[in-house]
Amino acid sequence: MNRLFLGWMILVLLLWCGPALAQDTVCVQCHGGLDGRLGAPVGQWEKSIHAANGISCHDCHGGDPSDFAMAMSPERGFIGVPGYEEVPAFCGRCHLGVREDYEKSAHGEALANGGPNCVICHGNHEVVKASIDLINEQDCTRCHDYERAAEVKGVIAETEAKLQSLDLSVASLHRVGIDVERLSGELFSTRNQFRRLFHTVNVEKLQQQRSAFDSDLAEIGAQVGEIENQLSQRKLIGGIIVVLLVLAGCVALLIRQTYHSEEEAGE
Amino acid sequence: MKIKKMAIDWLDSRLGVSELLHQQLGGYKLPRNINTWYALGAVIMALFGLQFLTGILLLIYYVPDTEKAFASVTMIMNEVPFGWLFRYLHVVCSNLIIVALLLHMMSVMFMGSYKRPRELTWISGFTLLNMGLVFCLTGYLLPWSQLSFWATTVATDAAGAVPVVGEYLVSFLRGGPSVGAATLGRFFALHVLVLPLALMGLVGFHLFCVRRNGISQAPFGKHYRPVEPSDTFTHEEHHDGIPFYPNYTSKELGVIFFALAILVLITFYAPWLFIPLDALVPADPFVTPDHIKPEWYFLWAYQTLKIFPSEFLGLAVQGAAMTFLALLPFVDRGPERRPGKRPLFLTCYLLGILLFVGISLWGHYS
Repeated sequence: MNRLFLGWMILVLLLWCGPALAQDTVCVQCHGGLDGRLGAPVGQWEKSIHAANGISCHDCHGGDPSDFAMAMSPERGFIGVPGYEEVPAFCGRCHLGVREDYEKSAHGEALANGGPNCVICHGNHEVVKASIDLINEQDCTRCHDYERAAEVKGVIAETEAKLQSLDLSVASLHRVGIDVERLSGELFSTRNQFRRLFHTVNVEKLQQQRSAFDSDLAEIGAQVGEIENQLSQRKLIGGIIVVLLVLAGCVALLIRQTYHSEEEAGE
Repeated sequence: MKIKKMAIDWLDSRLGVSELLHQQLGGYKLPRNINTWYALGAVIMALFGLQFLTGILLLIYYVPDTEKAFASVTMIMNEVPFGWLFRYLHVVCSNLIIVALLLHMMSVMFMGSYKRPRELTWISGFTLLNMGLVFCLTGYLLPWSQLSFWATTVATDAAGAVPVVGEYLVSFLRGGPSVGAATLGRFFALHVLVLPLALMGLVGFHLFCVRRNGISQAPFGKHYRPVEPSDTFTHEEHHDGIPFYPNYTSKELGVIFFALAILVLITFYAPWLFIPLDALVPADPFVTPDHIKPEWYFLWAYQTLKIFPSEFLGLAVQGAAMTFLALLPFVDRGPERRPGKRPLFLTCYLLGILLFVGISLWGHYS
């Protein structure tokens, strides 16, 4: 229940404040015209999942995105660039659950000793949509052996695949006008909770708790399946109606043809 | 059976119904070389009839309020029994009506049926096409989606390019400086009351003109006999023609069934063809979607506004093109109707179609 509530809260927050703020801010206008280190983040951010969801510079770095003079003023809440060890807290202002589980993980505990923070795996301005592909030999072996990471990936792969498949199914239902608000909310919540869990990088914990997520996803999958069945039935009925209409059209034209023959005979 | 016969006899002795029916059906003769294109009028009538029916059913649940409109459409689609069917039929049918109206207009142009004495039939038909477009424009706003809101904003904004009265015109169309509750209110009233009443009146006038002048012959084949224009009223008789009922109505019925088959096919299998993604998101005046585009039948107008250096020039060109089409019977006054003997017309006709398709595609991909 709590998981569902948290998921809903995040969804509502994203929908409410996200897109409205991803406008062409003074940050983008000014930094977009700069070269090198100061200009690069704009291009990177534009390709990011943050940009796609309407999260702009000031949402992370603070400041006033509507005032050139005061945009980077601490008086207007400008934070600037966080230090290496401050990054989890910086990102964790929005990604609360993930931060919590990360901090308890081997990664989080090693932070003070140079362990990885969020951007080591996810990148910073060009942060892409999280996927299981972020766990890969090339990236993980920058710091340690791949063995344990491979184990984590193995445990979560099946559930992740289900999540992705359900995501696509729900999007398809939405495309044909089905109200998927509730289903999307449940899926969003389950995905967030699951991804939060695997930030613990704890194979035993993942194995123990995975079945609960699988069961939640099976329930969502059943609902999706039921709607898909209804849509298939609709198509079947539609197909029958089309065939009947075509047949009726052919019969009408055949009747017309008999009259046409009579007309030609009468000429 | 006896009661039925008695009822008919009773009516007949007072109103002459049998005679009237014979005059309008079996005794109403059509040219022998009448072709399938002539059935498009009946198709359009059938589709408009379906729009009335599905529109009334949608009206039962639709709420014309900016706070509730999108939710009411979502409810129709998901909770009302067969609501999805009525809504999709309404949406798809509106597009097919425009296709049928355009084909009807193009066939009439190709066969030169707009020429004297059928100028009024042409003008009323051309007005009906425009009325169909206004129906679509006003209906587009009603779901109050992102697409509705922004497409209407763009469409009404174009009126601002008219010199002197532009600003007033935009304000008049929207009921205020921007698209909002007042716009929804007036578009709703137009869509469900004013336009249907006007449409019925105009269709009646169009049919009256068709019936009064008589159906024009198709200018092809061995049966075609050129008719000399007359200074006095003459009804084009076809004494050796075919009866309207049942001979030609069977063909009309066949074409209507095929048109309905296309409608049902799209409705059940690909309704998304006419419902872009932005139509699935509630309107948000603070978020402008990327690449907002009008529906396919307005793409030519949208692209024309972008081609010219000023919006006013674009509007003026659109206005000139539409005026030219409306007044075509007064511009092209020669009596010849056979396309093969009208090379200048045929060239302009084909170039006009290519231009329409080309500019629309340009608008789509721009």
